[in-house]
Amino acid sequence: MTDTRERAAVERELRSLIAGAARLDEAVVAELPADTDLFGPRIGLTSLAGVTLLGTIDQRYGVDVAALDLSLDSLQSIATLTDFVASHLQSH
Amino acid sequence: MSVTDRFDPDGVKCVVWDLDGTLWDEIAVESATDDLPTPRPAALAAIDELAARGVLSSIASRSAPSVLDRLDAVPEVRARFLAPQVSWQDKSESLRRIAKDLGIAVEALVLVDDSPYERAEVEALLPGVRTLAPEDVPALLAAFEGREVTAESRERVRRYRTEETRRAEGERFEGSREEFLRWCDMRLTVGAATADEIPRALELAARTHRLNSSGLTPDRLRELASSDGHELYTARMTDRFGDYGIIGAALVDRTRRTRPAAPADPGVWSVPLLALSCRVAGRGAAAAFLFRLMERARAAGAGEFRVTLRPTDANLEMRILLRQAGLRRTDEIAGGAAGGTGTAATADSAVLGRTLQGDLPGSPAWLHVSDREDAEA
Repeated sequence: MTDTRERAAVERELRSLIAGAARLDEAVVAELPADTDLFGPRIGLTSLAGVTLLGTIDQRYGVDVAALDLSLDSLQSIATLTDFVASHLQSH
Repeated sequence: MSVTDRFDPDGVKCVVWDLDGTLWDEIAVESATDDLPTPRPAALAAIDELAARGVLSSIASRSAPSVLDRLDAVPEVRARFLAPQVSWQDKSESLRRIAKDLGIAVEALVLVDDSPYERAEVEALLPGVRTLAPEDVPALLAAFEGREVTAESRERVRRYRTEETRRAEGERFEGSREEFLRWCDMRLTVGAATADEIPRALELAARTHRLNSSGLTPDRLRELASSDGHELYTARMTDRFGDYGIIGAALVDRTRRTRPAAPADPGVWSVPLLALSCRVAGRGAAAAFLFRLMERARAAGAGEFRVTLRPTDANLEMRILLRQAGLRRTDEIAGGAAGGTGTAATADSAVLGRTLQGDLPGSPAWLHVSDREDAEA
């Protein structure tokens, strides 16, 4: 239960960080399906915005995605990024 | 031992000059008139020599901001400097702002200042920044002596100024960011490098870090570019403010095959090095160049596209760009079976790849991308 709640909180917060990095309206990103592609047309993350996003994730959660995920597999969708961050939070 | 020993000239993109006691003898705010003090001829000559080698100059002076207005009144002096900072704030803070305004790392700055206090303040708060006294400037110049002077290097200061104008326009522009980007009328052309473009491509290999995929050395790049089955591609960019010249280079190795090689192997385009200038960062040019290369690979009949990646502390942006382009880890390993050109992964690098079937990612709508067919026969 706690894990589920924690994951939901991480997802909510990540949506807000994604909106900030991609210069999108937070309310819009909050409503997107969890499997929305980060690099797809709805979010349109750029490489520069991606650097900002991973920087804020590291600051907020202490999870350095760049160091932990060489091929950046976690940067697929809102859901995959949430899974990655949530699972590395639990190992702390 | 010289102060410039262990000095890597390729790491220096901008020299930041103090004013009073460094650029000129006097203290500007203490002068009786509103005239600007006369700069030391040797300092101006040094700035011009650095500019010829592609090194920018800026100003960090702890003085009244009105000194900057007096500087503006002397265009032949003012024109030598980008993003000048004249205020009472700490020099470390001025250097941070200069780096931010120019879009370069603060570690790419060198401070020249006659005040040991100011040098120490910067060294304490910005440990990656080198500082020099004015008498060390000849040694600084000597460190750059071996560097090739390319047309691109000479144009760099002018280009950064164009960029400053563009940014000032951006601050005034009323409308969305995307409308502004469209209004800029950015045009990217991609084509095989001509002979006169090669020095700039080598320079990009040496000088880029954030958007450099593998760190392939300029010597190795030159050697591979002229060997069988290899082609060097460049990207040039212009916008309504001017011409940015060559902003990207990619080496393409067409000697590789999918493993295991199929009888009707459609071929692979392998990219041992992709390097892009940060000068046009944040405008989609890097993605557009990479995506256009993938389209050209497909048009040339290739079935797969690969890029060698060596992750560093600096090139996360390149890693994300490759991920954005759909490139994922392959099992290609060190040495590679074919060719033996040493372009495949080694212990600290990986080969990323993707199929060229199906949809390829598209460039941002505001960028006009076209092929350049002016390559030499």
